[in-house]
Amino acid sequence: MTVKLMQGNEAIAMGALAAGCRFYAGYPITPSTEVAEVLARELPRVGGKFIQMEDEIASMAAIIGARVGGLKSMTATSGPGFSLMQENLGYAANTEIPCVVVDVQRLGPSTGSPTAAAQGDVMQARWGTHGDHPIIALSPISVRQAFDLTVTAFDMSERYRTPVLLMTDEIIGHMREPVEFPDFSTIKVYEQKVNEKPEDYKAFRNTPDGVPPFAAQGLGYRYHITGMLHDEVGFPTQRMDEIDPWVERLNSKLDKYMDEIALVEADHQVGARVALLSYGCSARTARHAMKAARSRGQKVDLLTLLTLWPFPERQVEALGERVDRICVVEMNLGQMALEVERIVGRKKVVRVTRANGEMITPQMVLDAMEVSK
Amino acid sequence: MSNQHILDAATLENDEALIPQSGWFERSETLQKLRKNKKFPTIWCSGCGIGVVMGALIRAIDHLGLKNDDVALVAGIGCSARMPVYMDFNTMHTAHGRALAFATGLKIARPDMKVIAVMGDGDALAIGGNHFIHAARRNIGITALVVNNAIYGMTGGQYSPTTPLGGRATTAPYGNIEPPFPICELATAAGASYVARSTVYHALELDKFLAEAIAKDGFSLVEAVSYCHTTYGRLNKLGAAADMMRSLKDNTISKSALDRMTPEEKAANTKIVRGNFVNIDRPEYTNTYADLITRVQEGEK
Amino acid sequence: MPEASAIPNSPPAAVPPSAPKKGPRGEVLLYARWCKGCRICVEFCPAKVLAMDPDADHPYVAAPEKCTACHFCDTHCPDLAIVVRKLE
Repeated sequence: MTVKLMQGNEAIAMGALAAGCRFYAGYPITPSTEVAEVLARELPRVGGKFIQMEDEIASMAAIIGARVGGLKSMTATSGPGFSLMQENLGYAANTEIPCVVVDVQRLGPSTGSPTAAAQGDVMQARWGTHGDHPIIALSPISVRQAFDLTVTAFDMSERYRTPVLLMTDEIIGHMREPVEFPDFSTIKVYEQKVNEKPEDYKAFRNTPDGVPPFAAQGLGYRYHITGMLHDEVGFPTQRMDEIDPWVERLNSKLDKYMDEIALVEADHQVGARVALLSYGCSARTARHAMKAARSRGQKVDLLTLLTLWPFPERQVEALGERVDRICVVEMNLGQMALEVERIVGRKKVVRVTRANGEMITPQMVLDAMEVSK
Repeated sequence: MSNQHILDAATLENDEALIPQSGWFERSETLQKLRKNKKFPTIWCSGCGIGVVMGALIRAIDHLGLKNDDVALVAGIGCSARMPVYMDFNTMHTAHGRALAFATGLKIARPDMKVIAVMGDGDALAIGGNHFIHAARRNIGITALVVNNAIYGMTGGQYSPTTPLGGRATTAPYGNIEPPFPICELATAAGASYVARSTVYHALELDKFLAEAIAKDGFSLVEAVSYCHTTYGRLNKLGAAADMMRSLKDNTISKSALDRMTPEEKAANTKIVRGNFVNIDRPEYTNTYADLITRVQEGEK
Repeated sequence: MPEASAIPNSPPAAVPPSAPKKGPRGEVLLYARWCKGCRICVEFCPAKVLAMDPDADHPYVAAPEKCTACHFCDTHCPDLAIVVRKLE
């Protein structure tokens, strides 16, 4: 492949195609619309299917239905649409159907400012749908990473049988950077392995590894999928001896795989007593501030979260043990800071926040590092 | 008193709640389509028409000779939506109102499958109203089976978009003041290529319409008029299940009988009209998209 | 599209009320475990083959010889608890 100047949203669409996505259902919403437009054009070329549904609720439902029918699927939206998708997102989490949902965040709440960037949906990503459930959310900091993490999202959704959220923002979504993608034929995503015969298959089996293999329907495996609490076979149940193990398995199934799921980029400087912690577009600001500080002789660590959920507790805890202060840089009023505070204690955390559509500036970060000494 | 015509627990060899594997069960081709690992009897109230619709659906699928693997039932939420779990097909029980949206994704992924959306009246026409009109507009090859008992039964008897004017419900204690949707006209106006209505009294007519609807390429709507004696019947003093079944016999009229009436008689008709109202050929969505893929891959820009 | 006449078991337009002289045309089997006692079969059987069992909450086949295999009961049983077999 050649080097191209590409927009983040287009890179996400390309990542989906490379990962084997062959179904997209979505509804236009700024600043995510380009993901849909690129896939509307590209999916038929590879025999895939695109449909613009009547709303975001239908879009989320359709991508789940398509995966049950055997096609890897994705949708993309922004805040207001993300809010609409929550019920069916919970359906996918409950029934463990792999799919990818992209949220190109904009300033909210409500209609907010459609063309302004924000990172205000990150806590909603964890708890937007009702009930206790696990979720994976990834956040790229560059156009190339938007491609890579989209591929990772598909891989993780299949590997762990869960919806995966790609939490990006208007900055990353709309910016253009030169990228060179690997040959798509070299990109491999986890493939489901169903070894049981249809008559023995239990779609929600309590396997020791926590993730039962997923068989698409209509290919010999006829079973029941329901959003009600269900037994291993998939039938609704109210028996405690079936509900308890299911609740336990579902909510702990990602714990075993934290090392593979919790992705971060760590830039440590020996002797640093202060760290910056950020993600998405704000991580670019944080990196600028880090370089400026270091060039002035100030030692500072930078931890960039690529995985927002499950929260990278181990890495953040280790960071908290190395430094006295962690400045959390995010374009909301401290949503991930809450998690950092939970892990390292409130006294160690300085919030560098902004929720008015303007990017946080490197100077704001440097000032916060100064003031909090 | 028992005789050789009654099978009870004493005559069974396996778990009494599961489908019996011998003799009686095997005589019925219909019952072969039930899930052998699902516990029966069904969850519905004694006398509920939904069970009658399930029988009609199974007979229709059986009549068409469809393989179980080729059939998908996608349900919303409500009493009617509890139907698919009992049948040995590919089944999904989704979110309230969203059956057609889930079914759309499944049908697009597997256009070769027969996809049937099983919904109640509130499920399909209230919360699901938007998906209903758009699936019809697209003419996607899904059969929408709407069991219309004019109430929200599962939640205890609240009024729905098809509750008659004046009918009492738990959220219309002084009588419903909202005019009901005409389901068949709605589907017709939205673009459905097959539209039919029958009742659980006219079970064999329901078989016929369901078989035609499922065989049809395109969006087909079958409205199966039923009743909820437990909630609506009780609140409006309409009697037991058998009484409400009888009133479906007495208070409906066939389309052919209606067509033979004078204009004045027709205008004065208050009975529910049964019949096949629409059966046209329009391009079906997944077929059109397949053509699009071909054109694009052949170089269209 | 399947023809209406191709659908099996179409009921006759009217069922003679008296018992056929040649013996029953159908055999009724009822699975009591699935029956919830709604009485639809009892109330609608044109030949009064079924009646409620006074000692139980389900019907019994009171007059098996009268069955004409019209199939009303097994197509209208909400619990699929009745099977009617045509006798040759």
